Amino acid sequence: MFFYYLDLAWRSIKKTPFLSLLMVLAISIGIGITITTLNIYQMASINPAGERSSKLFEVRLWSQGIDTWSRLNQQITYQDGFNLRKSPVPVRQTPMFMTGFAVQTDDPEFTPVLENARVTDRDFFGLFSVPFLYGGAWDKQVDSEPAYQVVISEELNKQVFAGENSVGKTLYLNRKPYQIVGVTKTWNPSPKYYDVNNGAFNDAEKIFVPYSLAPTEEYQSWGNNQSWRNEPMDTYAQRLASEAHWNQYWVELDNPEQIRAYEEWLANYIEQQKLLGRFEMPDAKAEIADVAQWLKVNKVVPEDNKILVGLSALFLIVCLVNMLGLLLAKFLKRAPEIGVRRAIGASQTQIFSQHMVEVGLIGFCGGVLGLLWAWGSLSLLSAHFELEDALTQLGYSMWVLAPSIAIIAALLAGIYPAWRICSTNPSVHLKSQ
Amino acid sequence: MLSMKNISKVFKTDLVETHALREFNLEVNEGEFVAVTGPSGSGKTTFLNIAGLLEGFTQGDYFLDGVNISNLSDNKSAAIRNEKIGFIFQGFNLIPDLNLAENVEVPLRYRGFNAKERKRRVQHALEQVGLAARMKHLPSQLSGGQQQRVAIARALAGEPRFLLADEPTGNLDSMMARQVMELLEEINKAGTTIIMVTHDPELARRAQRNIQIVDGQVCDFTMYQGGERTIEKPHLVTGSQEPSNQDKVAS
Repeated sequence: MFFYYLDLAWRSIKKTPFLSLLMVLAISIGIGITITTLNIYQMASINPAGERSSKLFEVRLWSQGIDTWSRLNQQITYQDGFNLRKSPVPVRQTPMFMTGFAVQTDDPEFTPVLENARVTDRDFFGLFSVPFLYGGAWDKQVDSEPAYQVVISEELNKQVFAGENSVGKTLYLNRKPYQIVGVTKTWNPSPKYYDVNNGAFNDAEKIFVPYSLAPTEEYQSWGNNQSWRNEPMDTYAQRLASEAHWNQYWVELDNPEQIRAYEEWLANYIEQQKLLGRFEMPDAKAEIADVAQWLKVNKVVPEDNKILVGLSALFLIVCLVNMLGLLLAKFLKRAPEIGVRRAIGASQTQIFSQHMVEVGLIGFCGGVLGLLWAWGSLSLLSAHFELEDALTQLGYSMWVLAPSIAIIAALLAGIYPAWRICSTNPSVHLKSQ
Repeated sequence: MLSMKNISKVFKTDLVETHALREFNLEVNEGEFVAVTGPSGSGKTTFLNIAGLLEGFTQGDYFLDGVNISNLSDNKSAAIRNEKIGFIFQGFNLIPDLNLAENVEVPLRYRGFNAKERKRRVQHALEQVGLAARMKHLPSQLSGGQQQRVAIARALAGEPRFLLADEPTGNLDSMMARQVMELLEEINKAGTTIIMVTHDPELARRAQRNIQIVDGQVCDFTMYQGGERTIEKPHLVTGSQEPSNQDKVAS
């Protein structure tokens, strides 16, 4: 019967094209706005670490002194990062910070470009499952014995080496030659959870250099450089030993036992540092947060987004109320025909189903059109308001979600009109036809 | 086959109560052709609607094919309407957007027949009324008489036990009316019980039995055979009430 009802629904839509178009427009506008806000919300709140989310932890330490910052800082200092690397507990671990380089090649025709870079350990690539197109990460040994090696992204490889295998070639960073050891495949987690401090929706860096090179090459941190105390920072060594060179620190812990052991190790570390005169706060502590918790702590999804989704849902309801009125008018006009159908054997359930299928079809059309509205509005937002691309890309799930929401919403709006038409007394209309 | 005992139907509003049928009693046997006459507002259509399970009743008992119709669910009523009852209306009541075959097919759809069976029955029903060649036409492309024949085909397609016809010739000219009447007589001869409401005494005389309803009660019935009145007897509406206007239907 479903296909019969679908055929009747299509005929009905064709019979009243203007009224049907009005209903499709009403629901499509509501769906368009809802999907636009929902898409932004979903893209902002997506957990890019997927299955590994519960195994990756960001480390925070309450290192500041008494009467200074009143909350746990989101990052740890370079000196803590350097020390935490010695922990034997995590499966993988890496400190890191963002910097940048002027990029040059052997080709004199190549115009130097300024690119963001990440200073990190080899474990970064394993921790965050970074895929490689050519080569791989530098050797573990480089993490302790500095070497001028670099991993670049596929995009930079295309830009500089026309996409050829560039492993073994030389890339000049701030005029220093680095040997390329690996080229990552396109990899751009969104939100950029491993460093939400420098734009949670910015693109991943295109250059990765060893953390062990930092003291030698004096890489400047392109992130937070605030300190909770006054201290001399005339030299780079002083800066590294200060409370102002902030790093991110991630560890991989595979099971609850490892988590417990690492928390214990961190507590001991704090006690040791206290003996050295650091971590002055009596309740100085360490905290670790997995990816989902980390995104929440950092309020990667602003509260405004949730309010916006709620408001757009309210707007959808207003559209549905309009649709309900139009459906009621359309269905009741058909009462004489329904009277005949009831007289010749259609039950109330069958008449109700027939009309709900029609409402569902209108909802589906509205959903498809709403998807186009959403795509258009996201493109406009991207073009005129400089929102990050990651937020204004229509997610694949929306292609299913938009028609589904539209159909469900339309069905809800159609219940009353369909019930009214199926419960009218058929005999009233039979004589009057 | 159809048995109504002390059926009452009262329409109520805030201000008035209207007794459409009062202690209405009627027995219709299988294969009968019964004409129902009576003045406007006498309750003919209400009786037909109750008989066709389109309306409920306030009091009494109604048995159709031995089944007590009182308090049936809507789904069961619809199933009985679909399987046992065929309707023919004064205004034809064809669905204008559907062609003839699709119109005739409607009750078969609700009955759940497969496509092959539906096609066979539609073809047969339209052949019975002489319109098989025009099955792809829309109702608006047919004359009134042809539309009524399609309505009859629709009623016949489900092979119902009895047909309820409400002024089936009311919108037709005399020639068309005669054709439709002849068709109904053929159907009746084939074994289908017919109850026909009509204002036309000529057509009423062609039925085997003529029932007159006045003020919601059966006040008289007359038996005919070959167009001639053969039996006339008073009909007791209730146990105590004697009919007072039996002569009104005398030919």
